[in-house]
Amino acid sequence: MTHAASTLEPSPFGIQSKKLAIWLFIMADAATFGAILFAYGYLRIGTPDWSRPFALTPTILNAALMTLVLLSSSVTMLLAVSAAQSGRTAVGVRWLGVTALLGTVFAALHLREWFAMFHGGWSVSHNPMNGPAQFGATFFGITGLHLLHVITGVAAILVIAAGFRRGRFTAGHVETTGLYWHFVDLVWMFVFPMVYLMNAR
Amino acid sequence: MTTESASRPSARTYLVVWVALVAIVVVEILLTYAHLSPGTQLAALLSLALVEAGIALAYFMHLRYERTVLFWSLIPGLVFALLMLDQIWPDALRLITLRHGP
Repeated sequence: MTHAASTLEPSPFGIQSKKLAIWLFIMADAATFGAILFAYGYLRIGTPDWSRPFALTPTILNAALMTLVLLSSSVTMLLAVSAAQSGRTAVGVRWLGVTALLGTVFAALHLREWFAMFHGGWSVSHNPMNGPAQFGATFFGITGLHLLHVITGVAAILVIAAGFRRGRFTAGHVETTGLYWHFVDLVWMFVFPMVYLMNAR
Repeated sequence: MTTESASRPSARTYLVVWVALVAIVVVEILLTYAHLSPGTQLAALLSLALVEAGIALAYFMHLRYERTVLFWSLIPGLVFALLMLDQIWPDALRLITLRHGP
């Protein structure tokens, strides 16, 4: 081990390989979200009778609350990383738990909104306002992909928290998971104004 | 094991960043109901979202505290890819003309 450490070159980025790997994943995922948001923009601009169904209450305020929850979860994740890096395992695990809880609240609020829309006749192929059916396809497609990232993130945080508590995972693993979680938050910073606010009536 | 990055922001800095991001979200909602033209509204919301993303990258994702080479290895490639996607806008605008006539 000492021999390997003395012969291997240091990372030019000064970070662990797992952290570089998650950064590369984030860049690829950002391009994916970028592509679907551009595709949404293409349809949105090219369709003059695009529907604007979202009222201030409940949809916009619900989405604003979701934004607040997700932003807060980024701060709790930072506190978890900070505690993990300073060797306070129990505190780190507790903040990871709070982050997972906030992620679950976000998902619950999102699903509540989805089911209200289903109840109102919306689907990926049907627009009850007699507007373009692509609205449902783009709305549920974009928010669904983001929701999938949130649910995956919550699962990852719980796995990492359990492993970190038992000493199987390190602070580096917590930080890497944190980077993914902040990215999920960052994507929402574009989804909220582009998909919700631009479609407010 | 701790990570390699030396200096990290304090909890107070995180709180200030959180307040700033929440304030931007409030401004976005106010702009939505300010009766702007769709083009102006889109430009304003997109600009604010980019500022938010920059703050999140710098402080939440700690890119500000990493070596500069990491930023230059990651971000320009992504920006280039997204700029290439901008080829589609003339065609999207053409669709409006096709539907309504010149």
